[in-house]
Amino acid sequence: MNDAAAADAALRCTEVSVGYHGTPVLTNVTLDLVPGQRLALIGPNGAGKSTLIKSILGLVPVLAGTCTVLGRTPSHARTLIGYVPQTDSLDADFPVTAGQVVMMGRYRRIGWWRPTRGVDRRAVQEALDRLGLADHARTHFGVLSGGQRQRVLLARAIAAEPRLLLLDEPFNGVDLVSQDAILSVLRELGAAGTTLVLSTHDLTLAHEFADTVCVLNGRQWALGPPGATLTADTLRRAYGGHAIELRDGRTVLVEP
Amino acid sequence: MIEPFTVPFMGRALAELVLLALVCGPVSVFVFARRLAFVSDAVTHTVFPGVVIGFLAGGIEGIVVGALVAGIATAVVLTLLGRAGALSDDAATAVVLTAMFSIGVVLVSRRSSYTSDLTSFLFGRILTVTPRQIVETAVLAVLILGLLLVGARALVFRTFDPAGAAAAGFRIAGLDLLLNIIVALVVVAAVRAVGTILVVALLIVPAAAARMLTTRLSQMALVGTGLIILAAYGGLLASWTASVDYGIALTSASAVVLLLVLAYLLLLPLGALRSRRNHGRTAPHARRSPHELVG
Repeated sequence: MNDAAAADAALRCTEVSVGYHGTPVLTNVTLDLVPGQRLALIGPNGAGKSTLIKSILGLVPVLAGTCTVLGRTPSHARTLIGYVPQTDSLDADFPVTAGQVVMMGRYRRIGWWRPTRGVDRRAVQEALDRLGLADHARTHFGVLSGGQRQRVLLARAIAAEPRLLLLDEPFNGVDLVSQDAILSVLRELGAAGTTLVLSTHDLTLAHEFADTVCVLNGRQWALGPPGATLTADTLRRAYGGHAIELRDGRTVLVEP
Repeated sequence: MIEPFTVPFMGRALAELVLLALVCGPVSVFVFARRLAFVSDAVTHTVFPGVVIGFLAGGIEGIVVGALVAGIATAVVLTLLGRAGALSDDAATAVVLTAMFSIGVVLVSRRSSYTSDLTSFLFGRILTVTPRQIVETAVLAVLILGLLLVGARALVFRTFDPAGAAAAGFRIAGLDLLLNIIVALVVVAAVRAVGTILVVALLIVPAAAARMLTTRLSQMALVGTGLIILAAYGGLLASWTASVDYGIALTSASAVVLLLVLAYLLLLPLGALRSRRNHGRTAPHARRSPHELVG
């Protein structure tokens, strides 16, 4: 691989296999994203979407192939990568406010014990503002709705000013208001040059969000624009079930 | 109400407990948030054979060294078990805990003063605290608070969102080791004064009680420390009054712990009220997308 080209690419995966304890759960993934590109990872539960995201974060080993983020290995690119985990992976009882959660996005910059500075507090407030949560900085994270929590986590990722942002099922259990707020912020980020990768099993949202779709289930089944990849035929093969065509040309799946 | 504490051994007992309160308040917040209650219990039990060996080798002064070695070793082992995923299995922790405790009992039972030694290791000797012990506790307290100050931010992040903290570049295993070592150091600092059994109460009850009053971590730490100091004062006073005025033997450390638990029980209704109020504020349950696929 040409080094200069690798540096231009925001995310480049070449025939990547990822998995746990040496056993791959996902094989042969090849991606090449430029800054500002918006990729949706589509696939059923257990398809390997979260595992792929964790391997791009450097948390799950790449078993075969190579993966680079802005020309660096994933574990050397952590300061450039933002991550929005699934909200239900977090302890809602944890005694912490929305503002404190967003401040966590600044922790790598602040360091271990230096006090927070004005620039950090401004970044936190701006991130909360962008997601319509300006009034919730001092609200306990646990009393927020699922959609508000998801917005807080996106605000946290934004506060870290990443160049590649990975989101794991950001629309799960999210109300319409939050969904729209998240989508519009993601579009702004993409327009400003942040590369976006999100996993979802909501095909309608994938259509709305992405300029590129990667269909996964154990391996990569399709990669390309939504119109070309979210077809009944591809999805039926990837999901191993039935796909039906909706009237507006979008596809939705039903269980076999 | 202050007079008993002008007696030197009572004053020293209170000073020792105040030092322990300063560290146990903040540390208990992390034990509570990380749900490490059982792990802390394990540390107190595994420190026990270290205490006995230290005592057999070096007398009273050897206890701290023995406890320190056993405590740090336990912190490392528990971190490794946690890495291997074995800690989620309570049985593994319980096996380590009971095995080490048994070794301690076997060792101490070889002595002729078996019963009194065992009692003082398990329940401590708060009323015979020496000035030197107070200095040692103070040194450990400074060390513990220093480690907490450096690690607090990363520890909070790791506790709330392990995957997020790891993604941000924090080393989870390192942070787990740090917290386990902090817990072990607290046990070491407290073991001679309150014993291996009662120190668990100082590590668990303060934050659990403070959680009823506040949802902020820093306030929980302060409230926790305050509660221990109140319980220390009240417990020592009660045991003094009981034995001096009424001739009833009331073990001081037990009185302190009982008061702490009493504070927790008194605060319980407040906590219930609080959580009911919070649930009233929670937005209606989020919509699930009709397009969502269940694979």
